[in-house]
Amino acid sequence: MANPMEQFEIKDIAPIEYGQYDLSFTNSALWMALALVTVAIFLFVGTAKPQLVPSRWQAAVEYLYDFVRKMLDDNVGPEGRKFAPLIFSLFIFVLACNMLGMIPWVGSFTPTSHISVTLGLAVLVFAIVCIVGFWKHGLHFFSLFWPKDTFFPLAVFVACIEFLSFLSRPFTLAIRLFANMTAGHVLLKVFGTFVVSLGLFSDLPFVLAILPLTVTIALTGLEVLIAVVQAYVFALLASIYLNDAINLH
Amino acid sequence: MPQFDLANVFLPQLFWLSVLFAILYFGVVRLTLPKLGKVMEERENKVSGDIEKAEKAKLDSDKLNEDYETGLLVARDEARKMLADAKSKAAASVEKKSANAQKKADETIAAAQVEIEKARASAMKEIEAVAADGASSIVERLTGNAPTKAVVSKATKSVFG
Repeated sequence: MANPMEQFEIKDIAPIEYGQYDLSFTNSALWMALALVTVAIFLFVGTAKPQLVPSRWQAAVEYLYDFVRKMLDDNVGPEGRKFAPLIFSLFIFVLACNMLGMIPWVGSFTPTSHISVTLGLAVLVFAIVCIVGFWKHGLHFFSLFWPKDTFFPLAVFVACIEFLSFLSRPFTLAIRLFANMTAGHVLLKVFGTFVVSLGLFSDLPFVLAILPLTVTIALTGLEVLIAVVQAYVFALLASIYLNDAINLH
Repeated sequence: MPQFDLANVFLPQLFWLSVLFAILYFGVVRLTLPKLGKVMEERENKVSGDIEKAEKAKLDSDKLNEDYETGLLVARDEARKMLADAKSKAAASVEKKSANAQKKADETIAAAQVEIEKARASAMKEIEAVAADGASSIVERLTGNAPTKAVVSKATKSVFG
């Protein structure tokens, strides 16, 4: 029986060493590149000839762009529009990685099931939030942690908690996505191996595999949903964090 | 879990993530989305402009309709007034005509009456004369003496009044 963790194995495709650093092009990088190519085709075709009455491709891209812009309008306000390209990039990149990983094929790989990738994206969000916050408000940005009109010792206590929760944001953001993706793929793989092992039962071939196969199909639907929802949650949280930096509260 | 073999998997993935995400952001999204944003804005403006225009057109048509209604009302009133005028004029002319006719008829009647009166008076005179003649001849035959004219006229006058 195959190890359900095997699917997360990183395999070198083109080993690259830069000094003492390992910068190899791996299967993870390949699937991120595929995600990039998919998104690039989607966007370039969709915006090749922008028209007032959109074509189908253009309408699809517009739908997603409008979705992100609305999210920023709702959570950040008018100043959030500047960050639409960034949030859009995060959203569509995570979405593409999640969805390409759902291809039911041995070679497919989900980069977002790796904490290295999700942490990289989360740290990017965190860094941008900090930069924007200090850029706009200077040291006043620290007032984000200070609760207004509160009993002083209590305020100090709350400020400590707020600060810790602020620092933990990149990790929670990264772990949420990584854990969701990993758990889903492990589950799929476990039920997939059930299909094989029960289907090979020689006295009653195939029949016993029906149940786990049904479960696998249902789980695939659920995982597609999770893939979309997690991409949305990632972008949504990124915009909520941006709101803190821009509007302080 | 292979994911937590960070010493081996972290750096290559982070490196390629940075490269590919940078390409995605600067080379794809930044090049394409602003074009779309422009078109979407244009469309929004066009749609709101069209709606405005339609609203204005509707207002205009409403006004036109109102004007038409008031025009119709005025015309109707005028027509009614004209009709009433014509009616009253006609009535007046009829009255005048009938009054004229009445007057003419009255005049004719009066003239006829005068004529009749004259004829009667002359007839009466003639009768008086005839009666006087008759009476004087009767008296002459009875008495042999012809009465005097004065007496005869007195006598006839007392009879004819």
